[in-house]
Amino acid sequence: MLSVHSVLPSDKANATSNNMTNEINHPELCQWLKSIAIDRDKQAFTQVFRFFAPKIQRIAQSKINSEALAAEVVQDTMSNVWRKAHLFDDSKGAVTTWVYTIMRNVTFDLLRKMKANREDNLSDDIWPLAELANTEEEVFTDHIQSRNLQGIIATLPENQQQVVKGFYFMEMSQEQLAVHLNLPLGTIKSRLRLALGKLKLKLGDHHD
Amino acid sequence: MIKHHPKFELLQGFVDGDLPASLAAGIAIHTDMCASCQQKVGQLTEQVAEASFEQSFYHKIMVNNEENLTEIAEMDFDDVINQITASDDVAPTKDFCDERSINFKGMQYTLPSALRNIELGNTVQIGKLSRARLNLGESEIHTNLLHIGPGGSIPEHTHKGFELTLLLAGTFADAQGQYVAGDFIMLDKRDQHQPATEHGCLCYTVANDALHFTQGINKLLNPIGAFIY
Repeated sequence: MLSVHSVLPSDKANATSNNMTNEINHPELCQWLKSIAIDRDKQAFTQVFRFFAPKIQRIAQSKINSEALAAEVVQDTMSNVWRKAHLFDDSKGAVTTWVYTIMRNVTFDLLRKMKANREDNLSDDIWPLAELANTEEEVFTDHIQSRNLQGIIATLPENQQQVVKGFYFMEMSQEQLAVHLNLPLGTIKSRLRLALGKLKLKLGDHHD
Repeated sequence: MIKHHPKFELLQGFVDGDLPASLAAGIAIHTDMCASCQQKVGQLTEQVAEASFEQSFYHKIMVNNEENLTEIAEMDFDDVINQITASDDVAPTKDFCDERSINFKGMQYTLPSALRNIELGNTVQIGKLSRARLNLGESEIHTNLLHIGPGGSIPEHTHKGFELTLLLAGTFADAQGQYVAGDFIMLDKRDQHQPATEHGCLCYTVANDALHFTQGINKLLNPIGAFIY
């Protein structure tokens, strides 16, 4: 497996000397994104940021021809990554494709604002993010209920929230959660049980 | 079956985000209706994304930069990272905005999702033609929803620029044959056509110059060219 360091710009010299590679470590990017989604993990976000930000900066600069506006694209794109990580679905495509879509959309809306003087932010209608479009199909009839549910989940203790979100929203198995959170399987199971008990109470019987 | 598709260059421009909103929306609508173009766009996006974020691409641009520039950049990164992660906001799943529809002569049409936030002008009519302008603010590129009532047609014409006609609903025919919903017909100034519809149709049109009518009496109709454009 490629070490984390070889993909960091700070270790450029190191990377060029022996393990310079064109390969993107997709499983690692996925793992980081999951950590952001479930744990709001700032370390993982920092890794993702250091991987993408310099490249986004260069790409945006070549399109917009302004360092300041390119920095704005970096900030907007990465802030979307932070806020939408839980919507990323690795079965729908690579992290690179997902981040590329966000970057392209942010850039498009910014250029449109400059050229056509329009702030209609059409990009997400023209290029919907893959996982969002699918959410629409799958949970359309349930969305009010699920939004409601998220509010109730937010009232659970942090450690129970992690498990519930991982299990139900990220569709991770209990075993995967145990590895991911570095906890014994038994702990995962009991947290899940506790959390479900509380959710049942709060949602009332008719939700069963 | 859809027979007319965007050229590869247009799909490429779409994926790169380099097309004007009018054409990008047209391709988005087409790919929503056409599984094969949707697949092409998906593959292309994946490839472009992979290439954009490869190390070699980055090193190519970075090769002349001093080491200390990288360090400065990283210090700035920390600020931005702190700023972003300070927010607890989490994006909700997609807003389930209502579908948007439009009426032409008593027929109601649901608009494609790519068009749901574009400012829509008033509908104006001449005979069997009705037009609603989509106000995208792209100067000489004009975008319209054009409805042709049953038995209606557009007189034979050419274009000074390009004209995209994307059939959203119904059918029409010209000398080249029959067109169905989803057909993406891109004409340039060399082409002539005279679309006619038996049962009526709704089109999404993008043109960058007024249509120019070519046949004798039809020259009198040139104001319609301006109307359609």
